[in-house]
Amino acid sequence: MSQPRVFLVDDHELIRSGIRAELSGSVEIVGEADEVDAAIEMILERTPDVVLLDVHMPDGGGLAVLKALTQAQCKVRFLALSVSDAAEDVIAIIRAGARGYVTKNISGPDLTDAIYRIAAGDVVFSPRLAGFVLDAFASEPGAPLMALVDVELDQLTPRERQVLRLIARGYTYKDIATELRISSKTVESHVSSVLRKLQLANRHQLTNWASERNLS
Amino acid sequence: MPVTISPKPKLGVPLRPLRRSSTDGILGGICAGIAVRMGVRERTIRIVFSISAFVFGLGLLLYMALWLFMARSGEHQSIGQRISHQRRETEILLLAVIVVLGIALSVHSIAFHHGGPLRHGWFFQGNSSFVWAILLSAVAILAIWRGTSSEERVHLQGLVNAAPVVGKASSRGWKAVALRVIPGVILVVVGLRIMNRIGGVWGAAVPALIGAMVLLFGVFVLLAPWWLQMVRDLSSERRERVRIEERASMVAHIHDSVLQTLTLIERAAGSEVDVVRLARAQERELRQWLFDPNFDRDSKKAPESFAALLATIERDVENDYGVKVELVVVGDCSADENVRALVAAGREAAINAAKWSGASIISIFGEVEPAALSLFVRDTGSGFDLASVASDRQGIALSIRQRMSQHGGEATINTTIGTGTEVQLRLARSVARP
Repeated sequence: MSQPRVFLVDDHELIRSGIRAELSGSVEIVGEADEVDAAIEMILERTPDVVLLDVHMPDGGGLAVLKALTQAQCKVRFLALSVSDAAEDVIAIIRAGARGYVTKNISGPDLTDAIYRIAAGDVVFSPRLAGFVLDAFASEPGAPLMALVDVELDQLTPRERQVLRLIARGYTYKDIATELRISSKTVESHVSSVLRKLQLANRHQLTNWASERNLS
Repeated sequence: MPVTISPKPKLGVPLRPLRRSSTDGILGGICAGIAVRMGVRERTIRIVFSISAFVFGLGLLLYMALWLFMARSGEHQSIGQRISHQRRETEILLLAVIVVLGIALSVHSIAFHHGGPLRHGWFFQGNSSFVWAILLSAVAILAIWRGTSSEERVHLQGLVNAAPVVGKASSRGWKAVALRVIPGVILVVVGLRIMNRIGGVWGAAVPALIGAMVLLFGVFVLLAPWWLQMVRDLSSERRERVRIEERASMVAHIHDSVLQTLTLIERAAGSEVDVVRLARAQERELRQWLFDPNFDRDSKKAPESFAALLATIERDVENDYGVKVELVVVGDCSADENVRALVAAGREAAINAAKWSGASIISIFGEVEPAALSLFVRDTGSGFDLASVASDRQGIALSIRQRMSQHGGEATINTTIGTGTEVQLRLARSVARP
């Protein structure tokens, strides 16, 4: 596979240059932007394979970029990159369409690996994201993130739950495949279906919201 | 939870249930609500109420009663229900009713029995039902103001601000001045006239009192710009003070933590291990301060819980061994003796991993489920041969296995030379906690 074409969106020059240095040679960086509007414009123009998206930026942050590009029917894949670990922010960006979430202290090789997987259409769940998602789907009433997902419509299957737990425990997809005696592809498909459920919950709520207001 | 929003009403189509409108109302949304319920025009209902208000004040009383006992659209309780559930509010209202009744009855009876200027004047003669309606409405307004939901309060606040006498009193336009001065002057004049009429056999006390009240009210309206300004200044000053205090505590926190750490990092610039350790410690602390809802900002100490205890493992192992710890916790519960034992066993496992495995990162995953707590400590380091651990080495036997079994839990250790180790700890929850 040729090198994926990557676009950087981050309002901190230091972070961008750090990421550039770590990725140089292994991926092709086709551009970078430090604010929402410029990012939207340049991504539409250059159509990269993967956008590395900072969650927290002025003027709406990564969420604004994601929403604008989703509306523009842009097929670019997003990997969210952040120092913030407020569960609400992370879940929100995943639900808006990001295909994965990693924290900024991820090592260079791990980040490269994540970009290749996103470019290939896979999903990247870091242990922390797996924890947030488990929390969001927690069956115990009163869990703080319950409100974020439609619990009745989209329960996780026991297998999906198992896979998420293993990710949270620090297993790589390959480790999980060995542990559960399934193929890496099956692991991938479980994680993808979790992501789909998260994003679906979003759509259900939207349609409910719309029908309640006679918009649909 | 889905919120039911009533669709746009259509003329001629009745709609259940009867609710005060939260969108189309002028005062309490009662007319609009009734109009929607009956499928007629709002204006019709408004005219009916306005006319009936002149029939012994009946319309006014009915309006106030409906305001109190009809729930607002989107709310579950009416103002009356809300107040009746609050002892203090009920007491205040009862007191208000007693005071109003007392004043009205005494004025009424004195005027009626003794005759005098009030009886011959415009105030009571033949119109006492109006007075009653107005007095009861005043009590009702007090009840509405105290018992209303915060959402409706915003609406009422807007009404008060838009009212001609009060709201625009502080502006300088000639209209506003006229709206303030004319009623003010009228009130003052009427007050003075009532007081002038004092005399006769029955004494001067009651009309003097009423005259003085009307006079005072007139002065109150005339001076509206100044006292309103004063009230607004006071509240904006309070807001400003709160803001400054919050900022001060923020600055203090950043100074105590972030700036200090940055200084330490500058000094330790030569040592990569130290810089990483300091940065990680600062990151942890700041993250807790920003995102942990349970974190008590004043005592700077999180309450003791499963998640908080696991966070101390993360902190200590990273500080003492310079190894990165990736901690993920799902759910939380309060810590009893058994939970503490579980965490202590996990700490031992994490320290072992940091000391012996050679891995640069240790994953800790804790999960709280209704029936059990589980804790996993994993590294991808060298691993070891369980059977060959010298019997005098007590770490695994005592600190992990025995500790877990003593507290009704179990420990499993998976290790392979070359690929790493995972310690799995599980503890049934003794009592169901909320």
